[in-house]
Parts: sequence; structure tokens; C-alpha cells
Amino acid sequence: MRDFIIVTNNRQVSDRYERIYPVEYYEVTYMQTLLLVRDRVHLGHALLTHPLAGSIKPNETPFKSVMISRSKGETDPGSVQLIEESIETYNKFKNKKFPNMSLRMRDDYAQIDLSLLENALGSAVEK
Amino acid sequence: MKLELGYVHIRDIQFASESKVENGVLHINKDAVKKLILEDETIESVDLEIAKPGQSIRILPVKDVIEPRVKAEGRGGMFPGMIAKVDTVGSGKTNVLKGSAVVTTGRIVAFQEGIIDMAGPGAEYTPFSQLNHLVVVCEPVEGLKQHEHEKAVRMAGLKTAAYLGQLAKDIVPDEVHTYETFGVKEGLEKMPGLPRVAYVQMLQSQGLMHDTYVYGVDAKKTLSTMICPTETMDGAIVSGNCVSACDKNTTYHHQNNPVIEDLFAQHGKTLNFVGMVITNENVYLADKQRSSDWTAKLCRFLDLDGAVVSQEGFGNPDTDLIMNCKKIEEEGVKTVIITDEYAGQDGRSQSLADADPKADAVVTGGNANMVIHLPKMDKVIGYAETANTIAGGHAGSLNSDGSIDAELQVITGSTNELGFGRLSAR
Amino acid sequence: MSKIRVVHYINQFFANIGGEEKADYQPELRQGIVGPGLALSAAFKDEAEIVATVICGDSYFNENLEKAKKEVIQMVASQKPDLFIAGPAFNAGRYGVACGTIADAVQAELGIPVLTGMYQENPGADMFKTKVLIVETKNSAAGMRDAVGKMAPLALKLARKEEIGASSEEGYLPNGVRKNFFETERGSKRAVDMLIKKLAGKAFTTEYPMPNFDRVKPNPAVKDLSKATIALVTSGGIVPKGNPDHIESSSASRYGKYDIDGIYDLTSSSFQTAHGGYDPTYANEDPDRVLPVDVLRDFEKEGKIGKLHRYYYSTVGNGTAVASAVKFASQFSKELVNDGVDAVILTST
Repeated sequence: MRDFIIVTNNRQVSDRYERIYPVEYYEVTYMQTLLLVRDRVHLGHALLTHPLAGSIKPNETPFKSVMISRSKGETDPGSVQLIEESIETYNKFKNKKFPNMSLRMRDDYAQIDLSLLENALGSAVEK
Repeated sequence: MKLELGYVHIRDIQFASESKVENGVLHINKDAVKKLILEDETIESVDLEIAKPGQSIRILPVKDVIEPRVKAEGRGGMFPGMIAKVDTVGSGKTNVLKGSAVVTTGRIVAFQEGIIDMAGPGAEYTPFSQLNHLVVVCEPVEGLKQHEHEKAVRMAGLKTAAYLGQLAKDIVPDEVHTYETFGVKEGLEKMPGLPRVAYVQMLQSQGLMHDTYVYGVDAKKTLSTMICPTETMDGAIVSGNCVSACDKNTTYHHQNNPVIEDLFAQHGKTLNFVGMVITNENVYLADKQRSSDWTAKLCRFLDLDGAVVSQEGFGNPDTDLIMNCKKIEEEGVKTVIITDEYAGQDGRSQSLADADPKADAVVTGGNANMVIHLPKMDKVIGYAETANTIAGGHAGSLNSDGSIDAELQVITGSTNELGFGRLSAR
Repeated sequence: MSKIRVVHYINQFFANIGGEEKADYQPELRQGIVGPGLALSAAFKDEAEIVATVICGDSYFNENLEKAKKEVIQMVASQKPDLFIAGPAFNAGRYGVACGTIADAVQAELGIPVLTGMYQENPGADMFKTKVLIVETKNSAAGMRDAVGKMAPLALKLARKEEIGASSEEGYLPNGVRKNFFETERGSKRAVDMLIKKLAGKAFTTEYPMPNFDRVKPNPAVKDLSKATIALVTSGGIVPKGNPDHIESSSASRYGKYDIDGIYDLTSSSFQTAHGGYDPTYANEDPDRVLPVDVLRDFEKEGKIGKLHRYYYSTVGNGTAVASAVKFASQFSKELVNDGVDAVILTST
């Protein structure tokens, strides 16, 4: 059994992977996704990918996918620090740059988020 | 490895009936270049334009900038594993059309990245305003997927730069710079008592639009490894990174790595430039752990006294940077790290996403969130309307008079983390 | 173009009135230049003039903050200045705190540009560098020329509302606002030069100081609380009524050690707070609210803790320099260890 969960607000990710891997899809904002991940980290899940994957700024893309461990243990201080720092970084980029994004643009951002996750999965699953 | 880099100075560029370099002028046969690019069936059509320093021209969205170079003598060819066959490069003689570049633009995704202004205030923030450019504007075939489109544009740029570089093959260069690194034993014998220093270069390697290739191999798939600095001068490292214009390394940056140049300047004098370690910036945390462990291990193995560490990109690479710095320092090797900052538009936010007291020697390329006003340019090459969806800008960035209000992020190379530019912050 | 009107603030020492013994000197307004104002004035040439100087003793200022601020601001306002300069204070701590405090207050109340100067380690620097521009000076008055050399041009820029450059360009202490500027050399060269210095053990200056990490590793947990001696330590300023040790309401320069042997409850008749940074009403009504002696006595009785240590230590944490806090604790924790204390409960506000 795979010891990870994909937490995502990206429909493309859940469409691609929900039948093969544990995926939790939430129709929420980027920030809300980070907060959901943070809650899970405090409950004992470890972060498996960096919450700020990619170089696209948090106020530009609506999509966020993060991998966390499926199993729970003692709260991992490294994961806590990482998710909290990521949220702080997000807060630096408060103003939404493109509030009325075209579908094409949304699709492009979704594709990139999917690609970043895909590559992370490559590392998670290759054993 | 020893490489003689010959500069053929280019002071002008123009379209002509025959492609050639004569008296410092790069003449380009448009049709020949178009034919070459259109060999790729995924490209529907291509436009070529010229942009020179001082002209009121804006190029956007910039995907990559590549310097025309050619192997004049010795092993291998330019861009091994991508254009030329796989063969070790970095020795012999290489000629450079210095003062020229190929710029690719492409609306690969709907959000855009990369502005080069050839004049005005924006020109001060990019090194590319000083070069004579051949701008390649490609249109993909209908329905081409993003990653294929990115590849098509990337290859078009490399092919064109290799084609132009070929024109310099038999020309006697105006000036020659010689670079040589030695094996461990030879280096110790030649430079006893000089501190052993290496350059650790972090390569962007996260996925679509975020990739770097080493001899054609995707950097995210590699373990940290060593490479000779002169290999980069022959295009061993090539950019597939089209995000975060200000702090991504174009292929031009890889070919002209300033850390390598400045370490060579001190080589044999105040230090022994032992070599180079390349490492990646993956998304998976265990990969970050592995890569940084490996990098520190290599630094220890090389018995280094010091290392310069550079990063690429925004956000999570800060974690890799700090991991590398900490672990290398823990091996007893002193570090200086080069980064840029996202301190918010008012400059008050914490600049880096990660930090550690061991990172006590930092060089910064400046705050990328700084807001700038780019006045209207007479001509726009590329896709003008994309200024409204420019990453680092916002909806409405493009004003009705053609000027742009956006963050410094939008300018290609403005806060480069190899230390290519003179911009800094305090 | 009319000259820029400047009011200058200095302490009793620089006004040649006296040293520590005259530190209680009350605010005085004098027309024209006094003391170091001369050097500033020479540097201003025709652009600005010091129309008046306010002199105030460091002790008076720090111990009568609200009153002193009001008095000084009134004096400054009466001169209708375009610019206010305090100090430079070099490494004199109380002077530095006074300069920072008054510059900040003038900026807020009168809305005019302000400038001060002091040594990097002056407690006033950490307290105010994000609020007012502080020129970095040497650590003693021997650095007056250097200080004035940086303060005068920056002051003129401020008065003229010109764009202020990065901290390293203008000579002020990094104030938490990162500003871009162009260096003469490219980043890679600066990096290589920095590394060469670092390798040679020479001094170098980082371009981005990492955020301050003062992390203290926690000790292992107390094994058996029921047998442990617990001491109370507070930065909430709880002191015996009358504040016999005169612990300052802010920027405390001392701490007190008080005996609570036989005391089971702190009351408003026997104890009070000295802290000037919060509304004292509730702490004065019942000081246990900040120093929970009553609860700990209950725990003693119930056997939850072994015993409450007979002495407690108190200071005021309001604007007190980190360096001072470290100094106090280094001193009294030795006593705590010698007295067999197992654990300390720290209260603050």
C-alpha cells in the first residue's frame, strides 16, 4: 500500500490519479489547500513534497497539489516548519494577479501543477 | 581540461542574402534559418526579427536566450546530447559570436514570462539589452501540447544558435581566453597551499517549464555529480526553464556562467578552482535530502576549503540552497551562497522562504518584487497583448499607452542568481 | 530657497552640563547650536540651519517617558522645524534609547522627517531601527566626524523628500526594508571576493543577514514535579509596593530579587507592577495575576509540586534590550542553581 496521500485542488490531478493512488480532492483555493495540509501536518502526517513546488508565484496560479504521508506519527517539526514557512511566503504575495483567468490559462496552470506532481510521484513510486 | 575560448566580436546584425560573419557584422539569410527551424514538423510557421541595443524595442514573452558558439577544434560539438552527438566537450578551441544572441519567444502557456527592453529604464535590468539579437517567433501546429511546444521552441533556439555559431568556425578570433582545470593530483602539485574551491551549481529541475538538461539528460533524474567548468562553455548545460524570468538561467547564462569566469580569474592566484558540482532542485523532499547529502559528500571528497553555491528559481529552491549550505559547512567547507529576494513590494517581508545561521555569507541579486514602470516601446517583437498576463504583472499591467507596470520579476535576468548582474539590495 | 530649519536633540553630557550626575537634567530649549550641533551645522553649509537645540538628561527622559516626550515635543514644535535630528548617541545606551524614542515620537506627532545616529550595538538601535532611520556610527564620540559625515547628507535628503537609497549606500542601519541598488561589481565577483575573505579568516559583510535566531534548546522535562523546587521569574514587573529597587517602567537596566517566604498571596497593599507597557489596573488589583504565587502555594499544599522557592526574580520586559535580559538571567540563574531550584516558571505579559 502506498504510504502517501495527494492533497489537491486540481481537478486534472484527481482525474488522472484518483483510481490508482490515494487522492483527496477539495474544491478550494490555493491558500485553503495549504491550510488543509497544515492541519494534517499538525495531526501527524509528514510532508513528502515541498508545498511551494515550482517557481510560479502563489498569487498567480490557482492550483496546488501536495503529497503527505498516509501514516501518522509524532508531529514532524520539519514538516511543521516547512508548511508554516510556505504559508508565510504565500502571504507575501497577497494580491491575486489574475482574478478573471481565461479557461485556457487555468488549464495551463493546471497542467504545470500536474507535471510537478507527476515528477514527484516518479520519485515516490519508483521503488 | 583546457579550453581556448575565442571571441569574434559582433557589433552589428542584419539580414542578407548570404549568412556570414564579416568585419564584425553578423549577416543572416532569413530563409536558411526558417528552413532549418521548420524541419520540426510541430512548428507551423516562424518569423525572424532583429533587435539591437538602444533601439526602442520590447521583446516578449522571452523563453530562452542562447549565444552562438561553435567547436573550432577538438572533441565534440555544441550542445552535446541536444544538437551535437553525445561526446565530452570542454577542451580544444571554441569560437563565440560575442555580442550576439538568439532569443526565442513563444506563447507556450497562457501566462507569460520574460521581457527584454532594448532601451529605456527596463534595459538597465537585463544584460540582454546590450546584445544584437536574432529573435525567433514560432507558431506551433494547432493543438500541440504544452510540453511538446516547449521542446519545439527550445530546440529551435538551440539549432539556430548552433547554425549561426558555425559561421565563426574558421574565423580567427579577436581575443582568446584560456581556461584550464586540473586533476586532483596535478592541481595539488601546481598550486600547493592555495585554498581548494569548487562551484556548486543548483539546477532548476521540477517539471514542465521548469527543467534543465545536462548533455541532454533531464537534471531532475540525476544524482548530484561533477562536471568540468569548461564543459558548460560548450553548451553542456541547457535551459528548459521558462518560469520566473528574473531568476531563471537562460542557456546564455549557462554558457557564460559568471561564477565560473570569476573563479577562473582567481585560479592559480588566490585559489585553486578545483571543479564544479551540479545538483538539482526537485520537488520531492526525500530527493532534496538525497541531493544535498550527495553534494556535501562530494565537497568533502574533493577536500575543499570553500565553495560558491548558486541557486535558480523562486520558493522551494531556497530550501535546497539552505540544505546545501548547511551540509557543506558541516563538512568543514566554507560557503558563500548567491540568491535573490522576494521581500514584497515594500521590501519589508522576509526575503527567503528558508534560513539558517550557517548561511552567514550571502550575495543577493536584489528584490524581485520591486515595482517598475516600463515605458512604451516603439516596437514589440513577440506577442504584445500578453503583457496583460505577464507573470509578475497583473491583469491591467499593460496600460492603454503601451507602458507596463509590473514587478521586476518580469524582466529576463534581472535578479539572476549566478550573480550575472550588478543589482543588489540591503 | 529658504534654509531648512533643524531642531537638534542632545543629552546633558554633549551639552557640556555634566556627566552621570547631571543625568536628571530637565528638558531645556536653547536657541541656536549647542555642542555637536556645530559639526552638523558646518556639514550643512548653506542648505540647513540648526535653529534650536533641546537638551535633556538621559535619566530624566527614560524615567519620565510620557512627561518628557510631551515636554520635548512641545519645545520642538514651537520652533516650526522642517527636520529633527537626535544625537548621535554612539554606544551610550540610555542616550540611544532616548534619541530613538524622541525621534519616533516627533515623526509621529509632528509629521516631519527625523534622523538619529548610534552604534550598532546600542540597545536603542534594535528598538528603533525599523521605526526611524538610524545612521550607523562608531562606538564612541571619537567617531563624531564620521557620524556627521553620514548624518548631514542623509538629513538633507530626508528634508528635501528625495529618494533614499539602500542602507549600505546611505550609511543607515538596515531597517528591515530591502532596497535595490546597483553595485559596482557583479554578484559572482562579489561572491568570489567574499569567499576569499572568509577563507582567509578576514572580516566580510554578508549582503543578506539571516533573520535572528535566538533559539534556546529546552532542557529535559522534570522527572517528578511532586519533589521539585519551583521558582518564579517574571518580566511582568511585579515588585514590592513602592518599587524599592526603582526598576524602570521600560528599558529596564536592573532586576530585583524578592523574598516571598511565608507569603501565600500577593495583594494590592503589598505588591504592585512596575511595568509601563500594559494597563496596570488588574495587575495592581491582584499581582498574582502576573506572578501566580497563590496558585503555586496551593500546589505546594496539594503536593503537586515539592515547594515554591522563597525568592523570585523580577524585571520589566518593556523595550528591554535582549542583551540586558541575557545579562540578568546569566547572573541570577547561577543563584537559582546554587539554591537547588529544579525548574522555573517564567511569566510575562
